[in-house]
Amino acid sequence: MTEKYQHLYVVVEHEDGKPVPVSLEMLGEARRLMDGFNTKYRSDEKVVAVVLGHGVRKLCEELIFFGADAAIYSDSPEFKHARNLVDTKVISEIAKDRELASKFSKAADFVKPRYMFFAADNIGRQLSSTVLAELESGLASDINKLVIEDLEIKHEHKTKGQALKYEKTLEMYRPDFSGFLWTTILCLDNRNPAIAREYHPQACSIIPGVFAPIERDTSRRGTIVEHRPSFAERDLRVKVIGRKIVKSDVDFDSHKAIVSFGRGVKEAPEENIRLVSRLAEQLEGEVGISLPISKKPFAVSEVTSSKFMIPDRVVGTSGRKVAPLVYVAVGISGAMQHIAGMKESTFVVAINPDENAPIKDECDIFIKGRMEDVIPLLLEELQKQKPAIRAK
Amino acid sequence: MEIKGYSMPGDTLNAAVIVKLEPDFSEGNVSYNADGTLNRAETKSILGPHSAVASSAAFYAKVRYGARIAVTTMGPPIADVALQQAQVICDADELHLYSDRIFAGADTLATAEVLRNGIAKVEGGKVDLVFSGHRASDGETGQTGPQTAWKLGFTFLGNVIDYDIDLQNRMVRAKRLISLQGFYDVIEEVEAPLPVFIAIDPSYKASFSTVSQRLAFEKYQKEGRARAQDFKRYLKVFNAQQLGADPKLVGLPGSPTIVYKVERIPKAKASRKAEVIDGSSREELRKAAAKMYEILGEMIIK
Repeated sequence: MTEKYQHLYVVVEHEDGKPVPVSLEMLGEARRLMDGFNTKYRSDEKVVAVVLGHGVRKLCEELIFFGADAAIYSDSPEFKHARNLVDTKVISEIAKDRELASKFSKAADFVKPRYMFFAADNIGRQLSSTVLAELESGLASDINKLVIEDLEIKHEHKTKGQALKYEKTLEMYRPDFSGFLWTTILCLDNRNPAIAREYHPQACSIIPGVFAPIERDTSRRGTIVEHRPSFAERDLRVKVIGRKIVKSDVDFDSHKAIVSFGRGVKEAPEENIRLVSRLAEQLEGEVGISLPISKKPFAVSEVTSSKFMIPDRVVGTSGRKVAPLVYVAVGISGAMQHIAGMKESTFVVAINPDENAPIKDECDIFIKGRMEDVIPLLLEELQKQKPAIRAK
Repeated sequence: MEIKGYSMPGDTLNAAVIVKLEPDFSEGNVSYNADGTLNRAETKSILGPHSAVASSAAFYAKVRYGARIAVTTMGPPIADVALQQAQVICDADELHLYSDRIFAGADTLATAEVLRNGIAKVEGGKVDLVFSGHRASDGETGQTGPQTAWKLGFTFLGNVIDYDIDLQNRMVRAKRLISLQGFYDVIEEVEAPLPVFIAIDPSYKASFSTVSQRLAFEKYQKEGRARAQDFKRYLKVFNAQQLGADPKLVGLPGSPTIVYKVERIPKAKASRKAEVIDGSSREELRKAAAKMYEILGEMIIK
């Protein structure tokens, strides 16, 4: 008898056959987890990449080089662009398809995957939600750490208060909005007889930029399996009638400097944001913000709010990952999610009155002081030196 | 998943909005513990900011297409405040509160189950359009909207920044803003027949261009404020039984996931060694300024 729930399915996103970076990052983490899993449990469960697209067979080979044991692809012009409705239907079908699983494993009793990964981006967040609604199982979102463990669980509902062992449980860690707390989410079968119900796969969406892909290894071999999709008319009722590439008004990539601010502006938000903005201008840089600022926590003028306190400017795991030559963090304490978005910067300057703030361990120069006092002086010094440069 | 027969050409457009009562993150209202975490006991609750955007998107349907609007939420009795605040924004005709002790502790799947049952009670189940926010400010999962849509069998459109409706053909045309990691942002224009579930992007702003639209806007805005003064008149409260919700699919029993533990994120190992300088010392700031220019690749000529 084989197991009902096997393997780790990774739903891959790509743009015209080129994988988005988080897809390879998910495969890397999946590879590490399942290598550990197979050693620990003396089993042979697979990392399975799932791809929808048109002309994506070549991509499947790449996915195997990047850690997958098998790749299931479904090919149709209908998959040219991601569409939640039809994608959800086909991915759910693939997840429940025993025939497909039997192409790369002993799957006589296969029902659904044991684990499932999605990208925590615009497409994957929504796709994971609808796929797990269809598969009727649990989903943790925005995960940045994963562990597989045997856990003893005592839970009023899940186990009716008894201590029961849950083997091969995926511990899914997600940082909360403050960036200071880590919540571990588990997806567990109800073993309480009154509400008995099995919940698989254990699924999550994974924050881009957190996990490392494995090195591309062209000697890796795997099984590539084709799923032939069939569509009902109503699966295709969303029509993409136009698609336009846009440039954000906020341009982090072509600026050598970024000056970001956080909740530390709170004592005089309007004035302090103006100071930050002037500092950015002086350095010919772009202005960034920390996540809490995008929730518009201060009453400021509409102009300031709509220009600066917007999601587009967020640096961190909930926003953009940046790597300028100079990154200035003004009134930012340094929550993990923010650090993840700026740690690749060449040189980091922090302006902060609190020497115990975590940002101190992430910067090269820590200017101790209130921004109200420091920035005007710093601006003067920068201005004094500027003409000398221009003179060159 | 069955698509039921909804409205016909010429029928009134029926819209529902799903909202959430959330901690108020605005300064002066939000309270943080000494360790930087949210102090929930001290923080007031209000209509979540994304819920407010969803309400304004529904209001657009009222002004442009004369839609009837129901605002709905799952929560404790005090969550009626969120309904009232949403009514101010969208001039709702009905307010629905789904409230039962057995709903407590629900994860997103179990919440979506309640909302699905609830939406089926709006306008006798003849709903054409459902709006939700992009995500909640506290939970931030963004799952409840799409999962409710899926359970309803509605077409889900996320990250919607603009939409219009062709009443004659019962079609929605919408623009969606999608970020493709490592590539670029895309504005995608899509078309889908009603019924549709729209998760509205935070950047959404309704615009009313004609005089008649502006007049309708003012009229309904005034009406919304007046109605919200007396919001209990529009409020209907449903418990699990009245919703016909299966107790095994809602609340804790219907939740696949549990929170196993909550811990402080351990401080990462210092990745850089900071030179600490005194922010009131001109001399030190002069050096810092020079260093920044040096890194930026600009030569300093003495």
